[in-house]
Amino acid sequence: MSLRLKLLLLGLATLVLPWGGCQYAREMESALREGEENSLQAVSQTIAASLQGRTDLLYREAPPPANAPDAPADESSGHAFLQSGPYDLKPLALTAAPLLDGYSDDWPHDPSAWAYFAKDDRHRFGILTGVYERMLYVLLEVRDEHPLFDAPGTNPLDPGIFGDRVWLGFEDSQGEQRQVFLAATAPGAVTARGIETGEYGQQSAPLEPRIRGAWQPMSHGYRIELRVPLSMLGNGFGVLVDDRDARGAEPVSYGTLRSDDLHTLGRLIVAAPELTAYLAQFMQPGLKLAVTTPSGRVLARADALAQMRGLGSETPILARLYRRFVDRPGTRQLLESSAPVYDRDHKTVIGELEVTQTANRWIRLRDHALMRMLNFSLSTSAVAVTLMFAFAAWLALRLSRLRQASESALTRSGLITSFPETDARDELGDVARGFSTLLQRLNEYTSYLRTLAGKLAHEIRTPLTIVRSSLDNLESEQVPPSARAYLERARQGSERLNAILIAMGAATRVEEAIGGAERVSFDLAPVLESAVAAYRGAFPERAFRTELPTEPVVIRGAPDLIVQMLDKLIDNAVDFSPAAALISVRLRLDAQAALIEVDNPGPALAAHVQGRLFESLWQSRAGPDSRPHFGLGLYIVRLIAEFHGGEATAANLPDGSGVRFVVRLAR
Amino acid sequence: MKRLVAIVEDEPAIRDNYAAAFMREGYAVRTYANRAQALSAFAARLPDLAVIDISLEDEPEGGFELCRQLRALSAELPIIFLTARDSELDAVSGLRLGADDFLTKDLSLAHLIARVNALLRRVDALRRPDTPGEIVRRGALTLDAERMQAQWDGQVVLLSLTEFWIVHALARHPGHVRNRQQLMDAANVVLDDNTITSHVKRIRRKFQSIDPKFDAVQTVYGMGYRWVE
Repeated sequence: MSLRLKLLLLGLATLVLPWGGCQYAREMESALREGEENSLQAVSQTIAASLQGRTDLLYREAPPPANAPDAPADESSGHAFLQSGPYDLKPLALTAAPLLDGYSDDWPHDPSAWAYFAKDDRHRFGILTGVYERMLYVLLEVRDEHPLFDAPGTNPLDPGIFGDRVWLGFEDSQGEQRQVFLAATAPGAVTARGIETGEYGQQSAPLEPRIRGAWQPMSHGYRIELRVPLSMLGNGFGVLVDDRDARGAEPVSYGTLRSDDLHTLGRLIVAAPELTAYLAQFMQPGLKLAVTTPSGRVLARADALAQMRGLGSETPILARLYRRFVDRPGTRQLLESSAPVYDRDHKTVIGELEVTQTANRWIRLRDHALMRMLNFSLSTSAVAVTLMFAFAAWLALRLSRLRQASESALTRSGLITSFPETDARDELGDVARGFSTLLQRLNEYTSYLRTLAGKLAHEIRTPLTIVRSSLDNLESEQVPPSARAYLERARQGSERLNAILIAMGAATRVEEAIGGAERVSFDLAPVLESAVAAYRGAFPERAFRTELPTEPVVIRGAPDLIVQMLDKLIDNAVDFSPAAALISVRLRLDAQAALIEVDNPGPALAAHVQGRLFESLWQSRAGPDSRPHFGLGLYIVRLIAEFHGGEATAANLPDGSGVRFVVRLAR
Repeated sequence: MKRLVAIVEDEPAIRDNYAAAFMREGYAVRTYANRAQALSAFAARLPDLAVIDISLEDEPEGGFELCRQLRALSAELPIIFLTARDSELDAVSGLRLGADDFLTKDLSLAHLIARVNALLRRVDALRRPDTPGEIVRRGALTLDAERMQAQWDGQVVLLSLTEFWIVHALARHPGHVRNRQQLMDAANVVLDDNTITSHVKRIRRKFQSIDPKFDAVQTVYGMGYRWVE
């Protein structure tokens, strides 16, 4: 595993941060929810407390005067509206006004809200009431096998034209009993009429325009939908149906009004319209308030749940994605709380306040916090990972540079190239400096070794000079002939020693010559041509062949050195080839370099030899040889090749018949 | 009167061997082991020729210093550096200080004495300007073998003894290639190829300092050099 990958993984560990954040957000959500529930409870209790004893609001029942003498006796039995009589009507709290068209499809479907009244099997009606804003809506479905309209176009008070009629009886706000009737001559809109007795006893039936509705026949009967302003109504309310099978006939009357004087039997248990307004002042988006009777019927409500949902649906994609990680399945989206509303004495529960709050409120809060937290921690993670990766890459780069530098610092031949300096103050910098120091010492040692031969030659030269000058002097002395031979041998030995010394210093001198050489541009081909011509004279027992390109091969360098290098190559080729062998000297060109190839037949190079051939003081000569060899020739070849920006290599010929030396010179 | 050769050499065995050889040749010889000894003796009497080792006892460059001081005493005194060193740098600095020749110790005694004879002969010839010697003229080049003096376009080219002999060997037969061995024989020295190459280089530079267009010494690669008119 690479360093880069390791640090990347380490960087990924910072993802614990957002994970922890999610956990924290969940905890926070629970706490938030709990707090929200508590506060909701407090809200509901506060509102409930503010409604304590407000029977006027809840049931439109004026609070009994504080000084009413009979009040305690009555009140002790409890509130009358809490005991529902058989004729009482309990309107629904409608969420929208029904259209007065005589059809029931815009009414809530709630079978339990219907009240049914019957005379017998054939005479029966159902009544559904509802309140919306300041209006009471009534839906009446009368079962009648023979529905009968009034005869049209006549006085509504003429008994002869009477068809099916419906009486509404109610107490007005002053407690007076009043009645209106509904009569229709055809399906459609209908307006109530009252009956007034004039000053002289004459009766008239003026329209009561505030009570209007629609009359529509239905199967086995008819349906009446109408509306009455609550402001007209007191507590009592009832309906009486006059069912006639023929116009003017005696009706079958039944319903919730006394049939003799049409006084109300039952009450209308309904909240004051002001209750809704009262609740509205507590409203805020996402909240629903409802006041119910103790039995659970809704008296009034204020609903702003949808308002909140509308806002909540615009959550950004990112937040929705985050929510996926945080939400636990099955979490309730709504908070509910309720509190009882007591009467003034805090004895009897007169109603119930229900408060519902959407979860959106705190979900939004949580989302907001979560978004910020996740954005922050994810970007922190991203930055951390990026930084770590960059750092790892940088570190890896430095390490690989160090590795390359240390690999290339020491060439195969033991030459030490420069090692990059570093100012880095960290451990890697220390390692690099350590390497540098090591190489520097190695370099000193290597150069000591390299100059050792020269130094040695220098040191030996003085005693050798003593020997040789002594021998020279001895020549002039009277030496017995018997000693002459020894003198001659001593001379030969000292000459050989001298040759060795010259050879040992040769490398140093070549290095000096190379150091002082001037570079000129010259054509390689004629130099080779004339040099090989000289070799033909120098080595008559070998044949030479040249292969030179026709175009000029111009390089920058020192022609003297090139010839010297060629001398060494040819020396080598001559030494290792049998008599009369053909030595080929070839000059080739490739894209960047000129190549001098010298082929000679002879023994192949051993594999282990090839890399070391061009080293100083190394040789693999076998067999007796009168000339001293120090393996300097090919070392000089290498030095000169390197001076020309090239290199020298040796390889066996493909057919194994000999050896090829190749010198590459930069063009 | 015998010529006086001063040998300044810190190695007693070599010093004595050299002294013996010179005495056998009929020279008077004084030997000194260090610079101080030599200098005090030279102050009293100048030798006819001085052979100086570069490193003297505890002074690795003592010979150079001595050469400078000796040159201050006499501008014409022939000075030969003899050293175990064979580096190019030493030769150049020695010759620049006014030495007439620079020889390594692997030279045989016979060669050394030949050199000394030749140098003294040059000094003698220069002191007798009226006697014309063997003159070689090749275009702008005039070589006086007697005085061992070279002139180019009438100007004297200051060549060391080795250099003079190399030029002499080349110019005597213009167009003929002289290989390195022939040049070494002519100069009475045993040098390796590189030293010949650098001698030739120095010769060219000396002529070029007088005539930038000088191109008479030509390299024949693989063989040697030739004089071109």
